[in-house]
Amino acid sequence: MEIIRKNRKVDSIVKTGKPKNTKSILKKDFKKNWFAYLLAIPVVAWFLIFCYGPMWGVLIAFKDYKPLLGFAQSDWVGFKHFVDFFQGPYFWRVVKNTLLLNVWGIVFGFTAPIILALMLNEVRDGKFKKSIQTITYMPHFISLVVVAGIIHIFTADEGVVTQILQLITGKDYTSLLGYSSFFRPIYTFSGIWQSVGWSSIIYLAAMSSIDPALYEAAEIDGIGRVKKMWYITLPQIAPTIVILFIFAIGGLMASGHEKIILLYNPLTYDTADVIASYVYRRGLREASLSFSTAVGLFSAVINFALLWITNKIAKRTSEVSLW
Amino acid sequence: MNKFSKRILNLLFVSILVISTVTACGSSNNASKDNSSNESNVSANDNKDKSYTDISATIRGNNAPTQEQIDEVNNTLNDTYLGDIFDEVIPNDYSAYPLKEKVTLDVWMPANVNIPDMNNHAVQKQVEKLTGIKVNFITPPIGQEADAFTLMISSGELPDIIIDPGRYPGGFEAGVNDGAYIDLTDLMEKNAPNYTAWRNSDETRRKTTITDDGKLLGFYGIAPYSEWTWFGMLIKQEALDKTGMEVPNTIDEWHAFLTKAKEVGYSEPLNYGSNYGQIFTGIINGAYGVWDWTFLDENGKVGWGPAQPKAKEYLALMQQWNKEGLLNRDWATADFNQRMASAISDKTAVMMDSPDTMWSYWKEQNNMDFVGALNPVLNAGDKSATTYKNFKRTGNSAAITTQSKNVEAAMAWLDFAYTKKGWEIYNYGEFGTVHLIDENGKPYYPSDSYMYKDPEGQPVAVTIDKYRRHVWANIRDEHNSNPLIVSEGSYSGDIREYWTENMDTSVAIPPITFTKEEASREAELGNQLSTLRGEYFAKIIKGELSVDAYDKFLKEAKSMGMDEFLSIHQAALDRYNSR
Repeated sequence: MEIIRKNRKVDSIVKTGKPKNTKSILKKDFKKNWFAYLLAIPVVAWFLIFCYGPMWGVLIAFKDYKPLLGFAQSDWVGFKHFVDFFQGPYFWRVVKNTLLLNVWGIVFGFTAPIILALMLNEVRDGKFKKSIQTITYMPHFISLVVVAGIIHIFTADEGVVTQILQLITGKDYTSLLGYSSFFRPIYTFSGIWQSVGWSSIIYLAAMSSIDPALYEAAEIDGIGRVKKMWYITLPQIAPTIVILFIFAIGGLMASGHEKIILLYNPLTYDTADVIASYVYRRGLREASLSFSTAVGLFSAVINFALLWITNKIAKRTSEVSLW
Repeated sequence: MNKFSKRILNLLFVSILVISTVTACGSSNNASKDNSSNESNVSANDNKDKSYTDISATIRGNNAPTQEQIDEVNNTLNDTYLGDIFDEVIPNDYSAYPLKEKVTLDVWMPANVNIPDMNNHAVQKQVEKLTGIKVNFITPPIGQEADAFTLMISSGELPDIIIDPGRYPGGFEAGVNDGAYIDLTDLMEKNAPNYTAWRNSDETRRKTTITDDGKLLGFYGIAPYSEWTWFGMLIKQEALDKTGMEVPNTIDEWHAFLTKAKEVGYSEPLNYGSNYGQIFTGIINGAYGVWDWTFLDENGKVGWGPAQPKAKEYLALMQQWNKEGLLNRDWATADFNQRMASAISDKTAVMMDSPDTMWSYWKEQNNMDFVGALNPVLNAGDKSATTYKNFKRTGNSAAITTQSKNVEAAMAWLDFAYTKKGWEIYNYGEFGTVHLIDENGKPYYPSDSYMYKDPEGQPVAVTIDKYRRHVWANIRDEHNSNPLIVSEGSYSGDIREYWTENMDTSVAIPPITFTKEEASREAELGNQLSTLRGEYFAKIIKGELSVDAYDKFLKEAKSMGMDEFLSIHQAALDRYNSR
């Protein structure tokens, strides 16, 4: 997952004078940095054992899996579970809602921490900066159930948010969670409140490593604050943004069911019922490991395709990509 | 809706059938006794090995037993002091105890928050003493039961006994078919004489503890009676006083009462529902025959409530009540805390909930008295009805695994819970400190019982588990041994009893079981139909859709496979009936 810059390869060729095959480069590198390789072994092993090993388990999506019989002895059923899912009357709705909820998340949720980090970066007063950071990343540690409780209270019949909305629009609203058109904004903006401080940390870290000489040079040229942000800070953290954006696109079809289930109700199924919540409700009646694995696999395949496409585009248009 | 689906499951699997009434004070007079209880000789003792002296004279009605008497009761299998207080006599075949060989059984069970260490549980020690069977409990960390269970099953390393075996993917029977649990059909009579006698003591018990094809899977919790319904209309006493009205019965009376309640200051008189799905509790819709889910129609066939002819009338009524401001404004979105906050506020006059819950929120915390009302009816003179019915199957169940090293011992240990002695210990804890015996040979908690006055100062909500086994595979005597129900001054039990005795339960579906193929199809269709129903009904009641949208709903339900869904249920019911 390292950021590859095209010119790096060129560097190595220039230094040594002639291109070498990978094998000999590796050999040489290993001799020189054998201790670093040694240190990497546990990490690599961890990935192999805990991430790649269990991947075969995804095949239970094509089986009628029974834990006691184990993987090998359970019967194959082919694409039965996929067909069941695709043919359901709510299939398109839950897919659409999952995608749209995540699109909202990318448009608003992805940009918010960048803006926050840019603003924090401009603050000179260290104490003020620290306290703002602390306040904004605090909600990250509140449990989801509590957050949902807070949302319920704020959007209740006489809740703060509801009353503000009534002042602005002059309409009489009951609890906002009863309107399907409000579900996405409530879900997205409560999500921003939860995660904006936490997500901005990585951008602030990237900003702290920008060479001050760049700013000094710009100041000599007489450039204002806003332009410095635009021409120096943003381009410098662009690689970080691109990488995280690729990740975000790779999560377009993902959806956690916990928060949705705590906030939705039959009135808002229109916009709130996503793949995960729909499958969860089915699981209440009959826990089918294979069915939920099939649905998970379907989402993962689409996510991977999106990730791959985004990565390709990123590679073409900028110097930054995942691979 | 999530909780709602659970409730539906409960409605299906938990169960009722009032054959007779067991009054709280024990002796039942009006019941038609069946043959098995003709031998109602109080001190009947089937114990084949030893016969005990009859100590009923010294123990019954004794408020201050001596240490010697306490030891006699707690440490021996002498049960002569226990009366036969139910319609059917509880068996007492102790021939297997104490077990000759030394055995330690491994028992997997989900942990209970109130019991830090199952192995040192008061009841456990006593049972071990009397049966001579040592038990080692395996309890996964709270909240991780599901994962722990799956891991255990997948590993193939199984304990002797699993409590709550229905956790197996596909259910209890799937666990037997896949070879996780033993099919006990041929072993029951020999190794579990008490359980066998008890489940055969009554037709309902027999039917609900056997599979469609006649297998005995394990030990089910079986009650001596049908447990009371636990859910209905509850009215604040002060609302009745302020309005000066009687407890309403018909829909029209309810409308009048709620309107009046609104006039006297209850701004949202009826707390109608919540986001966890109490919109459809059969309480109001039942009056129209529009039951929440499946029910038995007058021909004994399975019907689907939302598709019944009067559905439009019900929806129009609710839409009207919503418009008139008789329902809580947040009925579609409120979570539990919000519901309880409105319950204790001046907005609410009526709750649709459990009297046990409201006892705590209304009476104990806020000193508000309340009364229970029967489910509304359409026309005066109709009998209130409910789809909730307890078919004498309660508590939990237990299975013996295929890895058990000593099936006989495991069965003997579980079987003890179905003896007279087991009934006393599991339900009422130990004699002396926790319970005493009254003149009729019925255990009760005296006012200074550990149950109410715990030496460690724990509240009843904890002692209910600490000194007894609240949920178990046993003869669960909830009505007489739940300290919350029998405590001084508590009337939530009375309300539940009143509901149960005065409501018709002929529409209730017994606890049917599906085959493997049926179950997955049923889950799929059921989820689709419940999504559809929830959405349409909520939108119509809120006024977002007109009542006529119901026609569209019905068309969609049919195209989704409503008929197939019903035929699955019908097939399962037919199999149940021919058990």
